[in-house]
Amino acid sequence: MEAFLQPGFWVFVLALAGMYGIFSLGLQIQYGVGGIMNFGHVGMMAVSGYTIAVLVITYQWSFWWAALVGVILAALLGALLGLTTLRLSGDYFAIASIAFAEIVRYWILNTDSVTGGTQGSLAIPSPNGFGGYTDQPDVILNWISDRLYPIIGEEASRDLSMVLVVWPFFLLFIWISSRLQKTSWARVLRATREDDDVPRSLGKNVFRFRLQTLIIGSVFGGIAGVFWALQFALLAPEDFLRIVTFYGWMILILAGSTRVKGLFVAAIFFGFLYGATRFLEFWPLSLLSSPERAYLRVFLIGFVIVLLMVKRPQGLFGKRQEMVLE
Amino acid sequence: MENSKAADSVILDVRNISVNFGGVKPVQDVSFTINENTFTSVIGPNGAGKTSLFNLLSGMNKVSSGEIFFNGEAIQSIHAHKIAQKGLVRTFQGAKIIRRLTVAENLMMAVKGNPGDNLLGFFTPRARKAFEVKAREEAMRRLDQVGLTKFADEYAGILSGGQRKLLDLSRALMADPTMLLLDEPFAGVNPTLVEKLLTVLAALRKEQSITFLLIEHDLETVMNISDRVIVMAEGKIIADGLPNSIYENDLVIDAYLGSRRKDS
Repeated sequence: MEAFLQPGFWVFVLALAGMYGIFSLGLQIQYGVGGIMNFGHVGMMAVSGYTIAVLVITYQWSFWWAALVGVILAALLGALLGLTTLRLSGDYFAIASIAFAEIVRYWILNTDSVTGGTQGSLAIPSPNGFGGYTDQPDVILNWISDRLYPIIGEEASRDLSMVLVVWPFFLLFIWISSRLQKTSWARVLRATREDDDVPRSLGKNVFRFRLQTLIIGSVFGGIAGVFWALQFALLAPEDFLRIVTFYGWMILILAGSTRVKGLFVAAIFFGFLYGATRFLEFWPLSLLSSPERAYLRVFLIGFVIVLLMVKRPQGLFGKRQEMVLE
Repeated sequence: MENSKAADSVILDVRNISVNFGGVKPVQDVSFTINENTFTSVIGPNGAGKTSLFNLLSGMNKVSSGEIFFNGEAIQSIHAHKIAQKGLVRTFQGAKIIRRLTVAENLMMAVKGNPGDNLLGFFTPRARKAFEVKAREEAMRRLDQVGLTKFADEYAGILSGGQRKLLDLSRALMADPTMLLLDEPFAGVNPTLVEKLLTVLAALRKEQSITFLLIEHDLETVMNISDRVIVMAEGKIIADGLPNSIYENDLVIDAYLGSRRKDS
């Protein structure tokens, strides 16, 4: 259990929480405000992550310019997804969005010459003829930890640098998103969440509102992909499985989907559950190997979700009254 | 009411509209015109095609054939929200309210031309907020009209059925309509509230120049307020005229009421 006492563990939890928190900010505005059930959110993260990897490795771009293009592509992809499928009603859109994310993943998997295919970003062709590893994320994060080292010594880790990069963005985005959710734009969007016909009959272009929401959410997904690329430097298609989308959903359900400000607490809680399971070494969990225990996170998080659904369906910060209105 | 009030200019001109849903034809070759500032009721038994007619007029469904002109402009193939923006606004059977918005928010949502409805409005907070203040004032005025002021900041979901009808009507008015299509505003409403709604409608006719087209299944309810009554049965118009003439029309009594009323 001493792992939990190490600052390093908590720094890791925070780094994860920041990344997944930004990721679920996208789902929050889509579902919590717009009622759009997007189960393919991971596709946006994959697109921006891979765009960065390819631009940096194959075309020698700087990381941040590549990141900008990655996020723009994620937004365009959100627009494409919306234009083609958003006229489907709730459940059908959810299914289409899963298919969409899988198309993205299979495309990455099967275009070896661009993305490295199954071998991940290591196999992205680079002009140097070496494997497609980029040290740009390391350079960026080490630059920060080098400056922290004189101040805090050994604790100046790569993860801590990551936390310092990702959290200001995360908090800024929460702030922007919560401001946005106070506008009349969001009010119309909330109306579309319950009923299409009412806003339409009052002169509101429901499709436009939905499409905008999907794109905004996709931008958050794309930005999460930027930080993912920064944190892990190496990408592989199996990093972008459906489960990642559902991690985002877990954070959202934990926080309560209609309250954006609670999201960071839920993200930390998620980060803890995600990071902690492998360190749970007491009996009977000690019978399992460490990687086996890592899978416990899925059970544990699922269990917490079920518990919440029963005891507190509005999430940690939601309003219960909203759940019971008919 | 005084029929002489009716102005001559046509606001709505419906020409031979029909709609097919597979083999079902809820509206068949319906034509009529509505003059400005008039109050017309569409009555008919269940399944007569009244709501289907409204769905066509408001653009929620598209006509299979025929044309609809609103203020001289063909609207049969444009989007529902654009029709509403032109001033032809409808309500729904059973009062569709947005439960998880407050009562005031339900109204404020409906305001036309809100700069904050546009994402770019996010970057002009001052204009956005000024508009919000105005919208809120307008909403409170409308709520006062129907006696819902004390619920302004409660979720609309807590309102009773009758209160929802009032909210629905007020919300449609917030969209600044020149013509209002009301789908059974009196259904399931207790007699006292029916009186209140009728008073509100009558007042609106006086204060604002709004043309009303209203669906109702009970002729008696709308006898006094209507300038004109259109009777539908099985997707067609079977009678059209002054309320009194409809009341005495044998064809209507046979087709619609089935038999003569006991009290006549």
